[in-house]
Amino acid sequence: MRALGPLVRVTVQSLLGRRRILLMLLLVALPVLVGLAIRLGGGRADAAVILDTLVIRTVLPLVALVIGGAALGSEIEDGTVVYLLVKPVPRWVVALAKIVVAVGLTLVLTVPPMLVTAVLIGTATGGSLGPSLAFVLAAIAGGAAYASVFTTLGALTTRALVVGLAYTLLWEGVLAGLLEGTRFLSIRQATLGIAAALGGRDPDVASLEPTVSLVVLVLAIASSFVLATVALQRFQVRAGD
Amino acid sequence: MTATPPPAPAPAPVPTRPAPAASVAAIELEHVSRWYGNVVAVNDISFALGPGVTGLLGPNGAGKSTLLHLIAGLLAPSAGQVRLAGRRPFGDPTVYRDVGLVPEREAIQPYLTGHQFALLNAELQGLPDAGAAADRAIATVDLTEAAHRQIRTYSKGMRQRAKLAGALVHEPRILLLDEPFNGMDPRQRLHMMTLLRSMAAAGRVILFSSHILEEVERLAEAVLVVYAGRLAASGDFRSIRRLMTDRPHRFTIRSSDDRRLASALLGQPAVFGAELVDGLLAVHTSDFAAFTRALAGVARDARIRLFEVAPTDDSLESVFSYLVRR
Repeated sequence: MRALGPLVRVTVQSLLGRRRILLMLLLVALPVLVGLAIRLGGGRADAAVILDTLVIRTVLPLVALVIGGAALGSEIEDGTVVYLLVKPVPRWVVALAKIVVAVGLTLVLTVPPMLVTAVLIGTATGGSLGPSLAFVLAAIAGGAAYASVFTTLGALTTRALVVGLAYTLLWEGVLAGLLEGTRFLSIRQATLGIAAALGGRDPDVASLEPTVSLVVLVLAIASSFVLATVALQRFQVRAGD
Repeated sequence: MTATPPPAPAPAPVPTRPAPAASVAAIELEHVSRWYGNVVAVNDISFALGPGVTGLLGPNGAGKSTLLHLIAGLLAPSAGQVRLAGRRPFGDPTVYRDVGLVPEREAIQPYLTGHQFALLNAELQGLPDAGAAADRAIATVDLTEAAHRQIRTYSKGMRQRAKLAGALVHEPRILLLDEPFNGMDPRQRLHMMTLLRSMAAAGRVILFSSHILEEVERLAEAVLVVYAGRLAASGDFRSIRRLMTDRPHRFTIRSSDDRRLASALLGQPAVFGAELVDGLLAVHTSDFAAFTRALAGVARDARIRLFEVAPTDDSLESVFSYLVRR
């Protein structure tokens, strides 16, 4: 476990590229700007819907995808992961470090703007801040799950960005609303389920029961960790490398 | 006027910790093959290596990198068995306590400085004083002046040295280097060769790949020649060199009287064939040195003028091909 610290440090350094961070900052500024516009426009009663659309459906998975997909994927792509793997460090420690950093950076980048947006929208009409804060707390759990899954995706495929976008837009955006069974494999639905439970409301028709939601998110994180470990244990350089 | 290159600096203190007693075969391959679909990259290779410097020689695309990746545990063999420091390296990270690897690929974390890279390697090796080990490794590869610059600003040769610093920071018993001299200038090359030689003298096992015969000649005591995925020859470098030199050679000659020259040359013991092809005389010889010494004398005695003499099969490729056929 002594290797965890250096691995976390080098992963943070690798992800803090100027262009990537600029792109992320622009992305997370979006809900704040929309929140500000709503606030200046006199507010709206459906704060939860706006937070769902802006944050859970859009910003959270995209930030997690860019950060998580690169945490391991970019090092595998450019070959520098070899320097981490030819060390007497159990591969699960490498997988853990990557997931910890992806989750941490995703939350650092998304939670503050989410909080600001929640305050701007939630209190605009003099209503309670409770449901909006519940969304933020749920988004923390959802963000951790998204980042874990996308980190593992980066270890499994060189097309993590495309697969991640397809999952977010097609699976979660379209199929989860049409086919009931697919909701159990939707991080968004689980996040909404937790948000509904924390906000003291019944889950929306589309979202999952709170307990099921929690199980889905915990399973997503745990299975991502196991799969990333297995992928690193079976890692082989590509032909021509 | 010839420019004299500055003398290579004396290598910084090479890791002086004597290598732990290496087993007779620190690296052992038994009938190892590796294929990708229908393409065979490594074909039924067996050998065992102990302490000293061994050169893995072969043209580009011969399978050298695949072989080193198999040895380093970065590829699983499709058939056969690889043993590194007595263990199967694929899927066993503990083996890397004894092993340092310099991959061929130039990529190296560009956002780190050379020192940070060496430090990261030392920390991941779990060394008690990682900072001091990183300093030593950086000094050993003569990178101290640039140690605190980001690797993205390094030249190719500096990157190679940074990679080497990372590989030897824990003073490994076994060092695997894939084309380590790529991009190095002659001075750095000399420095690295001196360094590797002194490490081998301390009992370490060093296997390096190269497609340049002269590099292997200058550094390696033993050599493994790989061609088209197969082990074409292995053993003491001098015997392999002799095999390469003593193989049949073919020369094309243009002279004032090709037909008469052919007849005169056939009287030479080193010549075993001559033919006239496309207006040129093609001569086959079994002894490169003896033929080249005798040719001028034979031509002079027969009063024939030589216009052109060219060896036609002296490329490294043809040398390897010949070794495989033997």
